[in-house]
Amino acid sequence: MTPIHLELTQPPAVRAALKNRWPQWLAQAGLLAGFVFTILIGLFGPAAGNANFAVIAVWIAWWTALKLVFIPLGGRAWCSLCPIPLPGEWLQRGALLGPASRGWGLGRVWPRRLRGAWLQVAGFALIGLFSAVILTEPRVTGWVLLGLIALAVVASLVFERRAFCRYLCPIGGFTGLYARLAPLALRVKDPAVCAAHTEKLCYTGCGAGYGCPWGNFPAAVRDNAYCGLCFECLRSCPRDNLAVSLRPFGQDVVARAGARLDEAWLALLMLGSVLVYTAVFLGPWGWLKTAAYSVGSPAWLGYAAGFGLINLGLLPALFLLAVWAGQKLSGSRRSLRAAFAGQARTLAPLGLAAWVAFTIAFAFVKFPLVWAVFADPLGLGWNLLGYSADTAWPDVSAFSRLAQAAVLALGMYGAARVAVRTADRVRAALPVIGFCLAATLGLLWLLIG
Amino acid sequence: MTPAALSRSRALGWAAWLAAAILILALPWPAFARTPADRVIRVEGRRFEYAPGTVAVNMGDRVTLELVATDVVHGLHLDGYNLTLTAEPGQTARLTFVADRPGTFRFRCSTTCGPLHPFMIGQLTVGTNDFFWRAAGLIGLAALAAVWGLRR
Amino acid sequence: MTRETLARLILGGLLAGALGLSLAAYGLARRDVIEIHGRMAEAGGWTPAALDATVGQPLRLRLVADDVVHGFAVGQMDWPAINLLPGRPVETMLTFDRPGRYTFYCTRWCGLGHWRMRGVIEVAGPGAAAAPAGPPLYVQLGLDLDAPRPASAAPLPEGRPSASRGAALAVEVPELGEPRGESPAAVWQALRAQAANESFDDAELWEAVAWLWRSQTTPAALAEGERLYAANCAACHGEAGAGDGVFAPELAHPAEHTQMGAGHQTQAPTAFTDPAGMLGVSPAVLHGKLIRGGMGTGMPAWGPVFTDAQAWALIDYLWTFQFDYAASP
Repeated sequence: MTPIHLELTQPPAVRAALKNRWPQWLAQAGLLAGFVFTILIGLFGPAAGNANFAVIAVWIAWWTALKLVFIPLGGRAWCSLCPIPLPGEWLQRGALLGPASRGWGLGRVWPRRLRGAWLQVAGFALIGLFSAVILTEPRVTGWVLLGLIALAVVASLVFERRAFCRYLCPIGGFTGLYARLAPLALRVKDPAVCAAHTEKLCYTGCGAGYGCPWGNFPAAVRDNAYCGLCFECLRSCPRDNLAVSLRPFGQDVVARAGARLDEAWLALLMLGSVLVYTAVFLGPWGWLKTAAYSVGSPAWLGYAAGFGLINLGLLPALFLLAVWAGQKLSGSRRSLRAAFAGQARTLAPLGLAAWVAFTIAFAFVKFPLVWAVFADPLGLGWNLLGYSADTAWPDVSAFSRLAQAAVLALGMYGAARVAVRTADRVRAALPVIGFCLAATLGLLWLLIG
Repeated sequence: MTPAALSRSRALGWAAWLAAAILILALPWPAFARTPADRVIRVEGRRFEYAPGTVAVNMGDRVTLELVATDVVHGLHLDGYNLTLTAEPGQTARLTFVADRPGTFRFRCSTTCGPLHPFMIGQLTVGTNDFFWRAAGLIGLAALAAVWGLRR
Repeated sequence: MTRETLARLILGGLLAGALGLSLAAYGLARRDVIEIHGRMAEAGGWTPAALDATVGQPLRLRLVADDVVHGFAVGQMDWPAINLLPGRPVETMLTFDRPGRYTFYCTRWCGLGHWRMRGVIEVAGPGAAAAPAGPPLYVQLGLDLDAPRPASAAPLPEGRPSASRGAALAVEVPELGEPRGESPAAVWQALRAQAANESFDDAELWEAVAWLWRSQTTPAALAEGERLYAANCAACHGEAGAGDGVFAPELAHPAEHTQMGAGHQTQAPTAFTDPAGMLGVSPAVLHGKLIRGGMGTGMPAWGPVFTDAQAWALIDYLWTFQFDYAASP
């Protein structure tokens, strides 16, 4: 049975719209201007977090859209619009839009030792330690955004291609891991065409398009994790051998070979983070919130230690135990390391469902804040969109708990399927399924218990 | 089995799973009848928590909620019942309602009280939180269905 | 024009738009208006906290709460207080008729340091300064607010004596000097000393004192006092006057808490329900403590905030914790 496969770039108009650089570029340039505005408001706008455009637009509007829309449906679709790498990339190319001129930068190759997702694991953990401050303090949000764009510029000037996106961006690690579940994919149509084509313009670049900024050779791309949907290969390929397609969900998740240990750690960290965040931000425990917020205090050191211990110690240990038990139960001969990395793919549907459920818990309740800051983006007391604090909002709690239960059940279904398919035998998958069930029920209890 | 029979039995199997899911969600929950009581529940609001943070009442109770702010102005909005209170230190806010909807409901601060204000949350359980157990059952069922679907 | 040039123009336009629009909006919004930010006292209070104004010239202010709910009002003026919700700026205009030094203050409880959230407006210009109505009563009477008050010889009443019942008694009232300069216990003793009052028992005389106290105020003043008490006093002295407000534990044991910051001496707030403490004190002393502040007790000085009428309304209301002012007993 061939899976359903719908080529979106079949209609010439769609293909032309993607091959033309302007539509994407205009969207990116507009978002960059919005990003600059956001940084300005973060640094100089209202001091109260929930009235500051930067805090609300980034941590409620964008962060929610990313998890509820972009990643589940489009994988790395946000990356195709993201403004953060643009200034660096433009400097690197010496051009905004046109063919590359001399450009600046050293063009170094990214160090072999730093490849993989390890830096993203560190970055994501670091964000976790400071999340209570980053999420609520406009100035900190402003500095973090500014820091990200500065880091991206430096990375572009020192290294070749999009080193920042591929190896440094903490959100990129998050997005890439869960992008494997998305139905949207940019792939070569016929690998034979690529094999016969000796110039590999998709990698080296040509007048029509740059060489893959993500350092991929498109014919070798098997999953969504590291394709940033920048569409350069679609433009550069002289044979029109690339297509954007829709497929069923979760096609890229199962990999019996080639699963990587760094991705397993990233997946565990992201699962642990959502559990910790739910407990801290949505739980009834004020001391936990205060500890997470008081950066530098003894309480915060305790929180940081707990965060590290749970995410980098306890959770990986439990997962390893589950994998080991599965190996024992089924008498598998796979190395524990390979089984650990392979079975960790289970955490993709589980983790995404967890993040979606966590997001549902506050996104709808806090939506009026989004309206309010868009009505008064500078915090000057404007009301551009007819916002009123007295508007009665529909009570979304009944709907959102139903949605949370459904999403978590769906995630559990996906996780159990991946667990079985990445294990040697069904029996080997059972302990891992048990681990997933425990994590999901734990989150369910934190959310609606 | 012929391929047609196989696909028919699969379809039947999925229908059974679906039926089980609906059953889990819709099955009547045994309710233990208790005489409704009048209850006064005093909740202290301080940055950024309620004390107590979790409150339980029985179905049908007449609940008087007293919100006492102990540092700055705080609010309390109760999900599900759509009630809002605002209290200032020295001015306790009260309201009375009949707890006629079962389940666990979050209440959150509705007056900006500092950086972590959006996360100042407590919970009220009326009767039993049967939805949690139904959802847990649904999640377990999803795991079973996944394994069943991949059986060889 | 090449594509690249066009792109550069567009990008330049977009970035200049984002920068320019926000700068222009801020610039225009801040023209001719003073922006005052309010934060909890320990985070800085009002910024700026000192303003200058001229008689007859409107002072345009934009008020912004930066952290929690605050309120803005000018002391001793009957302008309505302005509520400040965080991130919701409010613009207002103040015009002063007379020169002088005015206090502006926070009207919503924003932590134990709430009362420290004050600033001054120096109003210059022609005309006579807002004249004080003479020295406060305790100064006129030469009372020492901090003198220890020995226990009164008068027996304490049981429960709250009813003013209405006191009104029905034909008690002989001796000539009292300034009625607000005497404590209830002193007045009770003066009544007891009258030979004509011999037929009344101790409790009846307390009811007569309650009636005398009530006849010095009005229902309107009591209502105003009740409102002022709830908004300004109840957080420490308790909603029922028992000295058990939400900040009381912290004031009683300042060392165990940090809200006030180090170096602030405080003590447990006075319980207005305690007859031994209250009945020996004159309204003039209470009024003095109210407007001067408690000197090392944590009691703020409310003089610059309340008008004379407001301060006396508040003092009148305090006696309802001792006396039953209800129309029928």
